[in-house]
Amino acid sequence: MKPIFSCSDRGGGPGSEYLDLFMMLPAEMSWMLDEQSFCHCCQLLLQWSQQLKDGWSWEGVQALCVAPEDGDSVRGDIDDDDDDDDDDDDGVCTVSGGSGQVLQYEYHILFSCSYGTPVLYFRAVTLEGRSLSLEEVWSSVHQNFRLRLQQSPLNTITLQEHPLLGQPFFMLHPCRTEEFMRPVLQAAQNQHRPVNYVLSWLSVVGPLVGLEVPLKYSTLLHPAASLGSTEPD
Amino acid sequence: MADDKDVLRDVWFGRIPTCFTLNQDEVTEREAEPYYLLLPRVSYLPLVTDKVKKHFLKVMKAEDVEEMWLEYEGTPLKWHYPIGVLFDLHASNTVLPWSITVNECWTQIRLHINDNNFPDRDLLHCTSNSVIEAHFMSSIKEADALKHKSQVVNDMQKKDHKQLWMGLQNDKFDQFWAINRKLMEYPTEEGGFRYIPFRIYQTMSDRPFIQKLFRPVSPEGNVHTLGDLLKEMYPAALPNDGEQKRYQVVIHGIEPLLETPLQWLSEHLSHPDNFLHICVIPTPTD
Repeated sequence: MKPIFSCSDRGGGPGSEYLDLFMMLPAEMSWMLDEQSFCHCCQLLLQWSQQLKDGWSWEGVQALCVAPEDGDSVRGDIDDDDDDDDDDDDGVCTVSGGSGQVLQYEYHILFSCSYGTPVLYFRAVTLEGRSLSLEEVWSSVHQNFRLRLQQSPLNTITLQEHPLLGQPFFMLHPCRTEEFMRPVLQAAQNQHRPVNYVLSWLSVVGPLVGLEVPLKYSTLLHPAASLGSTEPD
Repeated sequence: MADDKDVLRDVWFGRIPTCFTLNQDEVTEREAEPYYLLLPRVSYLPLVTDKVKKHFLKVMKAEDVEEMWLEYEGTPLKWHYPIGVLFDLHASNTVLPWSITVNECWTQIRLHINDNNFPDRDLLHCTSNSVIEAHFMSSIKEADALKHKSQVVNDMQKKDHKQLWMGLQNDKFDQFWAINRKLMEYPTEEGGFRYIPFRIYQTMSDRPFIQKLFRPVSPEGNVHTLGDLLKEMYPAALPNDGEQKRYQVVIHGIEPLLETPLQWLSEHLSHPDNFLHICVIPTPTD
């Protein structure tokens, strides 16, 4: 049976693109992404990322990997203290309080053909180049999320081999992704709203591991919805 | 078929004779004797090397002991790969017994995960058997996602999952297969599984493995063979007409005929994690 999810993009105004969703629901009602659609969603994400300058890039090798440029997405603290969100796209963020350690995170989005979902891989090093341990990564996950994640082992963060680089990365297990994406996609379909699977997914899982997804992405997805805009860029 | 059952047993009980020696740089109180052990092809290094560790700990100071890792001729061995795969990939063309060097990491700090010598850009940490169990069960679940959309593994009870792990851990073929046979079934109207769980390994490039969707039967109803899989996923592994064979395609230390149906290979030559692990290695030159 063919995957149920196909997306095509229709030009909106000049300089803006959005994703239209055509869904064919099979009897078993499962929402699986296929590789082509994944790449398509990523390409759109990249275009928006370039507008927002928040550093995502497309790494070759069978077009399966998206990673931020060096030095991006830096978090300042591995303690529980709430950090102010850093609005800077690039650059190092230092914190007061806590351990005061400066960390450099690297995020990769890959496609899991086994689960038909995107998967988030990430690693973190100190400025001296020391890799963070699993315990340290756990301590940087927000308390609310931590409880949920710990309850279900396969929903959790584990150290895995990066499928393309062969190096250890932390990974958020994809086997439950379909479950939490289902209501999102269903709602979008019901309301005839365009949706980018990868963006929606990222906005759910990213914050669990310190990756903020700027709200501006959603205005790029729904250009008509952004108030006061007359002409698209 | 009686023959097919024998294949399952042969796969399960495959062994690799191994000699463990301590890395020369390690500081010991006295000379360490090498340790000889038959390693199960289908298991994982940390699961079967407790005796090795104990043997070498006898000649070392307890406070100097860090996380153990193993290396073959300079290559750190990935514990999360089945032992047989590591052997076929790295060592099969050398003389047996396979020599493995045991490296203990010596630093001033006790038992930290990130010590100075542990190659944490290459190796995953393995701090307990539950890490191995989690990895093993994760592979089984991923394989079933491919074969049955996770339906069979999700319908199993927790105790069935536990039995798969215990069967592997304790080397109990019957205990393991009592449950695993359910993961090898498929509806008779289909020609086989939905997709075949496989990984193709090679050492010619940095990419650790190739894993993609591949059906056991074509839409027209043709049975896909090992050769069909390689043609699609790794055509360089196949010899061109008239050319000398440059590569060997090895599963559990043997080279199956390229005409072998992939569905059969998946049912009989998969590892306990339900994946078909295929190694492509350069043909040895004499």
